[in-house]
Amino acid sequence: MPLTTEELSEIKMILGREPTRAELSMFEAQWSEHCSYKSSRYYLRLLPTTNSNVLIGPGRDAPAVKAFDRFALVFKIESHNHPSAVDPYNGAATGIGGIVRDIMTLGAKPIALLDLLFLGEPSNHYANWLIRGVVKGISDYGNRIGVPVVAGMIWFDKSYNTYPLVNVACVGIVEVSKLVNSVPEAGDLIVVAGNSTGRDGIFGSSFASKSLGSDELSNISAVQVGNPLMEKLLIDAITEATELGLIKYMKDLGGGGLATALSELAADHNLGAVVILDSLHLREGNMSPEEILVSESQERMMLIVASDRLNDLGAVLKRYDLEYSVIGYLSSDGLIKVYYRGELVANVPAKELAKPRIRLWDIEIPEEYRSLGRELRIPEVNDLSHALRKVLSSPNVVSKEWVYSQYDYEVGIRTVIKPGAGDAAVLRLMEVSEYAGIAVKGDGNPRYVYLNPFMGAANAVGECYRNLISVGSKPVAIVDELNAGNPEKPTHYWYFTQMVKGVAWMAQELKLPVVGGKVSFYNEDLSNGSQVRPVTTIVGVGLIDDVRKSVTYSLKNDGDYVIVVGVTCPELGGSEYIYRCFGLEAGEIPLPRPSSEILNGTYVSKLIDLGYALAVHDVDVGGIAAAISEMCVKGMKGVMIDLSKVPARGCSRFDEIMFSESQARYLVEVRRDCLGKALELARDLNVEVGVLGEVHGDELAIRYGDLDLVRVGINELREIYDNTLERLIEG
Amino acid sequence: MIRFPGSNADLDVVWVIRKVAGVNASLVWHKEFRHGIYDAIVLPGGFSYGDWLRAGAIAARSEVMDEVGEDVLNGVPVLGICNGFQILVESGILPGALLPNTSGRFICGWVKLRLLNPRGPWLKLAQHGLVVDMPIAHGEGRYYVDEEPINRPMIKYFDTNPNGSSYDIAGVASESGLVLGLMPHPERAAEQILVPDDRTPGGLIIWRSIASALKEGW
Repeated sequence: MPLTTEELSEIKMILGREPTRAELSMFEAQWSEHCSYKSSRYYLRLLPTTNSNVLIGPGRDAPAVKAFDRFALVFKIESHNHPSAVDPYNGAATGIGGIVRDIMTLGAKPIALLDLLFLGEPSNHYANWLIRGVVKGISDYGNRIGVPVVAGMIWFDKSYNTYPLVNVACVGIVEVSKLVNSVPEAGDLIVVAGNSTGRDGIFGSSFASKSLGSDELSNISAVQVGNPLMEKLLIDAITEATELGLIKYMKDLGGGGLATALSELAADHNLGAVVILDSLHLREGNMSPEEILVSESQERMMLIVASDRLNDLGAVLKRYDLEYSVIGYLSSDGLIKVYYRGELVANVPAKELAKPRIRLWDIEIPEEYRSLGRELRIPEVNDLSHALRKVLSSPNVVSKEWVYSQYDYEVGIRTVIKPGAGDAAVLRLMEVSEYAGIAVKGDGNPRYVYLNPFMGAANAVGECYRNLISVGSKPVAIVDELNAGNPEKPTHYWYFTQMVKGVAWMAQELKLPVVGGKVSFYNEDLSNGSQVRPVTTIVGVGLIDDVRKSVTYSLKNDGDYVIVVGVTCPELGGSEYIYRCFGLEAGEIPLPRPSSEILNGTYVSKLIDLGYALAVHDVDVGGIAAAISEMCVKGMKGVMIDLSKVPARGCSRFDEIMFSESQARYLVEVRRDCLGKALELARDLNVEVGVLGEVHGDELAIRYGDLDLVRVGINELREIYDNTLERLIEG
Repeated sequence: MIRFPGSNADLDVVWVIRKVAGVNASLVWHKEFRHGIYDAIVLPGGFSYGDWLRAGAIAARSEVMDEVGEDVLNGVPVLGICNGFQILVESGILPGALLPNTSGRFICGWVKLRLLNPRGPWLKLAQHGLVVDMPIAHGEGRYYVDEEPINRPMIKYFDTNPNGSSYDIAGVASESGLVLGLMPHPERAAEQILVPDDRTPGGLIIWRSIASALKEGW
């Protein structure tokens, strides 16, 4: 169990006596890494979290950002790595359930979900089972609650063969005036609504705060089981109650259960609470008070309601056949007092319970990292068509339709740019105006992080920024999820600290507040205790004034020009190209280029806004060659591009220009009659662009001046791009 | 528009009926629905009662369906979309059965459909053989029937059959066309802004038909 000897004596100091069993459970749940961020808080302070758009920053169950004056976007990311490793279906499903409830705590209506999945090799039987389970879990839960999964990312690596990383994010919207953000007061009632409390998920957060041993597959009782119908009823009922202004404050009963929700709520507002556990609706009769306090049964919300609104709230909940219990009230003495069967079973100061002391662990640069080859020796390649086929058929590059077609991404009739069509999803916001909307996207690259955690995390911020720009949105804020190893191991902890710093630096450079996030530690391989590849995932939101102007990346018209925006450097380190063609995961990864990101992003935004750009695709994994292939396949149009027109620095080989993953670049289809104006704008802004060629015919031809390098038919590209993943997974 | 516990496309349809069809619509909680009040009824998509047992099975046996049956006898048009179609089939108002997709997976995506023998309020404005685009999103959409239904309005998958349905059937109506059920989502294909680059808003034919039928008969 995670409480250490020092922590135990600290608890005795706080209480001035021996803790009861119930108190010990509460401390154990709340002081778990998962709930208290004790090992990460110190470094998380480095993240920029505010600007004039941020209404609620980190600290609540979810943050809120102002959008279009009267509205707030509420969005957050969450990991469900441990549960998904043990029970992929229920682990992933309840991850969706939890993140949706986090969004609901501010009174927002959930309108979109994202999933960021780091999965093992489809050819590995165990990994294949995990892949199917995770996707089916998200599909069954997300589809049933009627919140569309609209975007995300998937990465395959053998490091995740026994242990996947499952990050999920949710976006909600609410009128600023309806944000559930009142100050709770002594005397307010504590209501628990939704599912009954049972023995599932007992100590789930403590379970997630240590490493899984190989025998931990038997730890199935720590995984919660989801009930999406209950969640859907909660969404409907709470939306209605929020609309009526009946709820003062809400908390999700998630990790750490009642113990965590009570202590955080009370500590944040200098309050205490009196709780009668006997009044809570339970699933089983013979539960002990400590089990009730830390149960993580799903689909439960804690609602704080003024006593004179209880009847109205009860009426709404009953209409939806939701069970609820009034379990106590808030008090002014700062103590959490829990009674059960007439006995005082816990009496704890909320502040001390809520925030354990910060823990700083030793840091050591791993030997494995020191010995990574920084110098790349790449063999000469003659057949670049073959290399392109290798890169394009990588599971990290190909279409993820096998996954997203299992998600109902259209429900809610908001999804303007759907999965697989653009660099980010675009949703309209009918409550704001006819054509107002947002873009959402999530990114992360574990290979980059493996080769350089600081720059790898920074590049995730940069990529997310570009993806939001590509569809025509203005990025406003991001949330981050830091998936790391065991903080008690200095070499694992080092990756975590580097990743936070990378995010902090890049977010500040791009002026993107990191309004919320999550840290997941103890992600270690089941078989040998090595850390699974750490990765930082970034989910960002951008605003769009008129969704009719948003663009996908499919090529549209013969005769239009394809231009590249940004400079290409010989940055093949960590690229998909050297991995697919030579099995290399080495070299220095592409440098983050924040000032180019801003400049080039501004230029692309203008091209879209002025209507010059008909298709935009950011250049990332697989380089220019993969990006242009995707644009061809999606539009079923050919193009001939000339690499000698690419603004390049220091590139001595064709493959460097084709496959470099240099940051801050885009491919843009410019309307034939707008090319002159587009180039003039580039000169005015001092942005480097190159006109690569014309949309034409039914094959992709890549040349350098007069030299033919690649010729592939669009039908063949499409076959590779569309069907590879299904073949790999379904066999 | 009847809302069951677990319905999730209900608000979408209300939006489209009001905004696109220009017809007034109310969202009615299943317990509060009574026959004889409304000019037309829509059973929305979603997962009524979590689709426990079989898709639509529990909703089909709930009291509200007796009220709906009463309205059908009195000539009130009924449209069942996706889960609504499953409910109509489970309750015996429409023939056949809906089984899990042959792939075993939920499928979301756009399909081409052909409208056959159109008549009745929901397909009033369609011509026989019209091909339209709409998206599907279902796990249990494989329509099964022993013999191909004849002499009634039908909607068939046009180029590919995504789920293994008998005779490529995506939707089927009562003989008069008064009751129509279909797996594709016409409410998601009713506004240009939601339609992918290479598609057209094929759901419009249904919403324009019902608007016209309610005003001028069918």
